[in-house]
Amino acid sequence: MVSGPIQLLNNLLNNYGLPQGFIVQASFYVIAASAVISALGVVTSRNIFHCAIFLAFSLFCVAGVYLFLSAEFLAVVQVLIYVGAIVTLFLFAIMLTANIGDRSIRHTNRQVLAGGVVAIIISVFFIFIIIREPWKKALMQAQPLTLQEIGKSLMSVYALPFEVISLILLAALVGAIVIGKVKKE
Amino acid sequence: MVKYAHLIPLFPFIAFAINILFGRRLKKASAFVSITASSIALVISAVTFIGNLNGEGSYTIAKWIFLNGVPLNFGVTVDPLSCMMLLVVTIVGTLIQIYSMGYMHDDARFSRFFAYMSLFMGSMLGLLLADNFVMLYMFWEGVGLCSYLLISFWFEKPAAARAGMKAFITTRIGDTGLLIGILLLFFSAKTLYFKDLGGLAINDTTLTAVGILIFCGAIGKSAQFPLHVWLPDAMEGPTPVSALIHAATMVAAGVYLIARCYGLFISHHTALITVAYVGAITAFMAASIALVNNDIKRILAYSTISQLGLMMLGLGVGGYESGTFHLMTHAFFKALLFLCAGSIIHSIHIEDDPAMHTQDIRKMGGLFPKMKITGTTLIIAGLAIAGIPPLSGFWSKDELLSEIINTGHPVLFAVAALTSLMTAFYIFRLIFLVLFGKARPGVHAHESPYVMTIPLSILAVFSIFAGFFRPVRPDFLTMGISTAIAVIGIGLAYSFYILNNKILSADVRARFAFLYRLLSNKYYIDEIYEAALIKPCFRLAESAARFDLGVVDGAVNLTARVSVVLSKMQSWFDLYIVDGIVNMVANIAWLCSAILRRLQTGLVQNYILIAFFGLAIIILIKLIGG
Amino acid sequence: MIPQSHFLILGALLFAIGLYGALTRRTAIGILMSIELILNAANINLITFNKFLGSPDGLGQIFALFVIAIAAASAVVGLVLVIAVYRNMKTIFTEKMNMLKW
Repeated sequence: MVSGPIQLLNNLLNNYGLPQGFIVQASFYVIAASAVISALGVVTSRNIFHCAIFLAFSLFCVAGVYLFLSAEFLAVVQVLIYVGAIVTLFLFAIMLTANIGDRSIRHTNRQVLAGGVVAIIISVFFIFIIIREPWKKALMQAQPLTLQEIGKSLMSVYALPFEVISLILLAALVGAIVIGKVKKE
Repeated sequence: MVKYAHLIPLFPFIAFAINILFGRRLKKASAFVSITASSIALVISAVTFIGNLNGEGSYTIAKWIFLNGVPLNFGVTVDPLSCMMLLVVTIVGTLIQIYSMGYMHDDARFSRFFAYMSLFMGSMLGLLLADNFVMLYMFWEGVGLCSYLLISFWFEKPAAARAGMKAFITTRIGDTGLLIGILLLFFSAKTLYFKDLGGLAINDTTLTAVGILIFCGAIGKSAQFPLHVWLPDAMEGPTPVSALIHAATMVAAGVYLIARCYGLFISHHTALITVAYVGAITAFMAASIALVNNDIKRILAYSTISQLGLMMLGLGVGGYESGTFHLMTHAFFKALLFLCAGSIIHSIHIEDDPAMHTQDIRKMGGLFPKMKITGTTLIIAGLAIAGIPPLSGFWSKDELLSEIINTGHPVLFAVAALTSLMTAFYIFRLIFLVLFGKARPGVHAHESPYVMTIPLSILAVFSIFAGFFRPVRPDFLTMGISTAIAVIGIGLAYSFYILNNKILSADVRARFAFLYRLLSNKYYIDEIYEAALIKPCFRLAESAARFDLGVVDGAVNLTARVSVVLSKMQSWFDLYIVDGIVNMVANIAWLCSAILRRLQTGLVQNYILIAFFGLAIIILIKLIGG
Repeated sequence: MIPQSHFLILGALLFAIGLYGALTRRTAIGILMSIELILNAANINLITFNKFLGSPDGLGQIFALFVIAIAAASAVVGLVLVIAVYRNMKTIFTEKMNMLKW
């Protein structure tokens, strides 16, 4: 079952005679399509600044998709970390390095055609495999995972990976400071 | 006492090494090195002599080699003959080296000269001490080498260089005979020791040949007829060299060799009589040439040849003691004569050319008042060689003559007597022309320094008293005859050159002019050698050279040209075929890699692309297959 | 009810687009952004399987959480590297960053 806000929208729209779950399904496809289109913008835009904006929008849409998968906590984390932190970081990096206004600079290398062909072939194969597979209809997890359960899992069963991740983040932090520091002669 | 005899040659050799290595630094001090070494050798020789008088004899120093099973050792001969010769060589050698300090004073190669002198002293003393033929031959060649080096010491003069070569090559002929004789002796008698020679078979033909071959060596070394031609030319060397090597010591080595091998000769009459006749011919011939020669040193050289001939004659008739005795006395007075001549040559100057030291006796004259010491010693030496009693020459010559007549050789006695007469004549001709008479205009002379006159005086003392060293058997007949001969000779010279008497009338002299020409041209022996031996040799050598140039070199050049062509072909093959194949292989590898290296772009995205392309292929295979 | 395959197709499409970007972008920042897309595709798959296959303690979601953390770390380090390279070499193009190549 889809969760809160979309459920609410669904209930509202049902009053206008639309079929049950139509709004939910339609909104999923709209969100998914916007995610894909903005992702295409990320990889094709000639302005790297626009790329970052497209990326933010695409990640935001993915966060919406998470709602349809009963993962509200992750959707919030996605928006907080990706859109709020990582894309901002990208924007800062772009502003520190690239000449954003110059559209005459080529932003793709020479293997555009080959890369496109390979990507299309790969995606076609994947989609073909996904469609061919007879997926189970039954939902194993009907209820969405609560924040409490996630916290319990992290602190009990997955305590060790959690600590390792925290170490990795610490190492990345220290490494980033060391690398990025301007050495004074 | 005699156990140190083998050290005698060592010191001169050490002096040679020091002088040849450090001569440049030592400069004049090298003379003291050589003289010190000779003096030490003299002292040891004297010690050895005394030891020998006390009955000590030869000994062996060290084992050497086995020749065909016959042992050959380093040994030292110590007997009266070698002791006497050691003393003579060391005394005369030391005195002459002291004299040389004055004579060679201004020479540029002063230390080199003393190095050679020391080398000669060492070799000569080694030769005297050798107890077998192999050692003797080694030192024999050593003194020959020194003779060569010292004759051509002033090699800037072409005449000196030529004289050195002439001496070397001429003596080589005799040395070859000696070598063959030594080998023949070894293969016939299986011994090389002098002490074994007395015990060999008597009147054996092979051993007679050995004796004559050994005598060949003596002929070369002692300048006997027919190999005497080198000695007069050897006078191109410095006068001390002439005195030491070519009058007193080295030329006496031949006589010493005959005396050393006397055991062999005494039992082989043919060989012995050959020695006697060769000696007689040499003595007469050389004395007659000396009569008319005008070069002061050449007169003395011919005199040396003549006296050596007399020694050979004495040995040849069986007079071992008289021959060796004359060898000793002759060493003193002939060295003295040469040193006097050197002193005169050194001090005399011709006005026009200050550098010119003349050797022509006709340009000298009246020198006695200017050079009293040299003149006195020269007269003493002259009296000694002429045989006036009681000087040393009288005793030894008298003994030789009596030996010859007593062994029953009247012809040889006549030759010896005539030689003595001529000796007295030519030596006093020299003395009268040089010391007395009118002084020639434009010729200046002065007395030599003490470093030269003191050795002269010492040698004069030896020349006077050396005759008393051995007891004489009084033989008043021959004493009288020889004294008379000497007096007649001196008198003739006096009347000819002081009184200027014309004993023979002009037409007689004109009739015998051919004789004078014969003598002054030295019996044309050099010319005969030139025509009979040297010219054909040169002609042979020239035709051989032509053959060499035309045929041998032609063949060699042809071979060279053929190989050049062949190697050019090879090089072409190598360059285009072999290298071509190698280059082709390399180029193929290069082409392949040029294609393949495009895969390795170094761009990570490229690799990712290929990796995903591979993934797509794997998925495709999986889809089709599974 | 949205079928499972549609979520997976979305993930596949995002992955393919991210792959295309990673293969063709000239700038390091562009490549990093493409990689973020790929990681998101992976996250969609993880959460989809968590929902449709089930897991007692929410393994898929927690794993997605870890992926986000790793992505954040990699983005931070990668961007700092880009800045450092730009500071030293004055370029953002990957083919120019060849100082260590032969």
